[in-house]
Amino acid sequence: MPFISVTMRQLWLRTRILEHLGETEKADWSRLFLRARALARSGAFELAVPLYERALELEPMLGEALEGLGEALDVLGKTDLALEKYAASRRVRAEARLGPPDRHFVLRQRGHFAAEVLAYDAVVRSLKKNTLPYIARGNAYLAGGRPKEALENYDYALKLKRNSPDVSVLKGEALTMLGRCKEAISQFDIAVTAQPRNAEALGGRAIARLGAWLLGQANADWQRQFELLKGRPSARACVALRMADYALALPELEMAIEKEPDDPYWHLYRLTARRRLGLSADIRNLPSIDAWPGLLLELHAGHTTPDEVLKRADTDSRRAEAAFQLGVMALDGNTVASKGYWTDVTVRSSPSLIEHAAARNELARLAP
Amino acid sequence: MFSVIIYGRNDSHGYNLHKRAAISFNAIAEVMSDPDDEILFVDYNTPDDHPTFPEAIHDTLTDKAKRVLRIFRVRPEQHHHLKSKTHLVALEAQSRNIALRRSNPRNRWILYTNTDMLLVPRNEGESLNEIFGGLPDGFYQIPRFELPEMLWEAAFDRKDPAGNLIQLRDWAVRFHLNQVVHNFMPMKYDALGDFQAALREDMFAIHGFDEDMLLGWHCDSNLAARLALYRGRVDTLIDKVFGYHCDHTRVAAANNKGRQTKMNDQDRFIWDVSSPYLPGQADTWGWPDVEIEELRLDRDTSYERFTTGLSAAMEPASEPYRSTNLDWHLYSDLSYDLRHTLPFICDQVLTYPRSTTVMLVASRPELVTRFTTAWKAMGFTGSVLVPSECKGLPRQHPSIATAPFSELVGKADLFIFEFGLVTQYWEEVVRIGRPESASDQKVLKTVARLFALAASTESDTRPRGHRLPRRFIGVNVIYNKFWPLFTDHIAANINPFCSQVLAGLPRQDASLKGKVLRFRGRRGI
Repeated sequence: MPFISVTMRQLWLRTRILEHLGETEKADWSRLFLRARALARSGAFELAVPLYERALELEPMLGEALEGLGEALDVLGKTDLALEKYAASRRVRAEARLGPPDRHFVLRQRGHFAAEVLAYDAVVRSLKKNTLPYIARGNAYLAGGRPKEALENYDYALKLKRNSPDVSVLKGEALTMLGRCKEAISQFDIAVTAQPRNAEALGGRAIARLGAWLLGQANADWQRQFELLKGRPSARACVALRMADYALALPELEMAIEKEPDDPYWHLYRLTARRRLGLSADIRNLPSIDAWPGLLLELHAGHTTPDEVLKRADTDSRRAEAAFQLGVMALDGNTVASKGYWTDVTVRSSPSLIEHAAARNELARLAP
Repeated sequence: MFSVIIYGRNDSHGYNLHKRAAISFNAIAEVMSDPDDEILFVDYNTPDDHPTFPEAIHDTLTDKAKRVLRIFRVRPEQHHHLKSKTHLVALEAQSRNIALRRSNPRNRWILYTNTDMLLVPRNEGESLNEIFGGLPDGFYQIPRFELPEMLWEAAFDRKDPAGNLIQLRDWAVRFHLNQVVHNFMPMKYDALGDFQAALREDMFAIHGFDEDMLLGWHCDSNLAARLALYRGRVDTLIDKVFGYHCDHTRVAAANNKGRQTKMNDQDRFIWDVSSPYLPGQADTWGWPDVEIEELRLDRDTSYERFTTGLSAAMEPASEPYRSTNLDWHLYSDLSYDLRHTLPFICDQVLTYPRSTTVMLVASRPELVTRFTTAWKAMGFTGSVLVPSECKGLPRQHPSIATAPFSELVGKADLFIFEFGLVTQYWEEVVRIGRPESASDQKVLKTVARLFALAASTESDTRPRGHRLPRRFIGVNVIYNKFWPLFTDHIAANINPFCSQVLAGLPRQDASLKGKVLRFRGRRGI
């Protein structure tokens, strides 16, 4: 009897799931993923498979769903297919470009973190008085671009662990992302007072200060952060670029290229630094890439036009990156045009973008 | 491509450790293929007079395992500053960090595992190197599958890792071994410490394992919590490799006392972790400024050093055997066969650091000459200290330093006292009732006086930085009149007469007898 009951229930569930799958919309990928995962955890792998598949149709970059699908297929004995899914999940994650290396470790993470949110939801239900689950869940939200939910978790963690400098930094980052820069600065102040050598807190405060129009104070934080990041050339290069200090940035960029020769941004920034220092472009050994920011490299090499670049810059941050480079290239003969481009950068982009900070510093220097 | 980091010591941690470890070392080496790949074993706090754990089982390791194995030996003296803070004799966080600091910088990955794991790539033709080669940056774990004791103990051949892996693939299916035990995040799986793969760069960025974790357990969970924060997620390699643990629950390991087991605080080290970083140990993790000895099993081994030393010091025997005698009336006869005894003396010192300085207080000039030759040829760089009170001993060898006993005693790491007859010549037949001459008695009196003085004042005369008692080796102190003197002062085991050598640490005898003994020793009475 129990066997028949289970089988009947599975049949009913299966019919219900398949009936409703066709009606799902793009925004439903998250719900589908959560449902699939719950089914898999309850042992109903066969039922989880179509849900994972549908979630992936709606959101092909959902690495967690690919991994979950791999696990379900593996358990069902479809090993070859399962291994393909696992490999695809890794490919998706590998393709996501990480955040700038001078930023807080949470903001270097990229991709979907739905599985992490779900996992820590479960932990929070059991461990209500410990901070890690709240911090980790907050981080998953923050890395996934949901600062409001992140903030709620950090606030809870701070109730449990008052004045924790680590959590204050995270709260500061969430507040900056929400545009509440003054509140963010006070959170970073707590952290920097407790940990004066915390390079990530200094970098976060610099961006919050930039967002609050305190450029001089932001540069002071970056200067200190640069000193603390000894031995990490790519991170130091980013900090120097934010300050638009190209003489400081260039040797760090050379070292960053040595370590990561395939990263197009180090090549792009190296060309930027050389041009701003009045050195020849040196376009040897540039990686050839079709994707962004390949076009900006071509711009420096003289193989494309500003119009083409602006046409193909399809997001706000790409338009800001393109405008910044156009400002750099125009500076030799047309300061007015440069000012125009850089002003555009500051309007279009968030203070956390390297080009935003660099443009603000450039404009400050050009000011009468 | 990757460095595997494991740790242990030459003891009996859990059931049949030697077999488990040999199986595991050989199996891990079997799935390595890059010339940069390495297994780093930190031998933590093995007593100085013992070889390291891998040396003790070297004959059961494959050539490949010996080739990739680098051993870092942490001496008891180096552990001493932590001794009062822990009940454990081997510390995981310190060990793993010492290896990490010294790992091959060309390797992108660090794999943390233990000496009882077998890693089986799911694709039979694939090596771990190929698996790691294709991985994007991240923090990876796998579930641990248990292998019943009967299977690994009865059926595995230590020196056939490839055959063992084939057998394991078969058993996994036949005996339903593969059960994934999911766990809370950030652990992801149960028993996670048996496979945690992280980027070397990430491990340096987060300052290694937390060295405040001195009570055992949860080091792996702490690492998982911190790396999960740092990377944002815990990835799996379940599609690439299965990990099997040689179960060893017949006998509880030293750190397992059931519900009475002392553990690191779970709240502090797992559930209240708020940052991946450990700024408090940023400059000190892995003991960067401490000189840690590195040993290899494929070159310059202890055996090679031992035989080189003895070959340099003496010629092979020209007769099938020589004799000595235990008859009671020979109790006072102090003649002994130096050529036969020298290997046992060298055996006592070989496991000490090469920089060791030894004080040699002897009667017979031949011992000084031959021991010093062997000492040098065994690769020791420290001096042989011969007190100037010992008259008639050779002092020309460049390794010998001589000065009054009071000046030398504070420089010695180790003591050798020999109670022989200065008048005995090299080829003389031993223990046939030889009387002592006046010059023999004079020299023996000096040796005995210096011995009692050294043993009685050992704790007061240790070199700077030495916190542990120094070892005393007695030559020709078994079943003769110096046996009581030596064992009154030194806590030595009972050894067979044939070795002629006893060794141990000074007795800590708080009784009246002990006090009187030390008083007399100090004053040369």
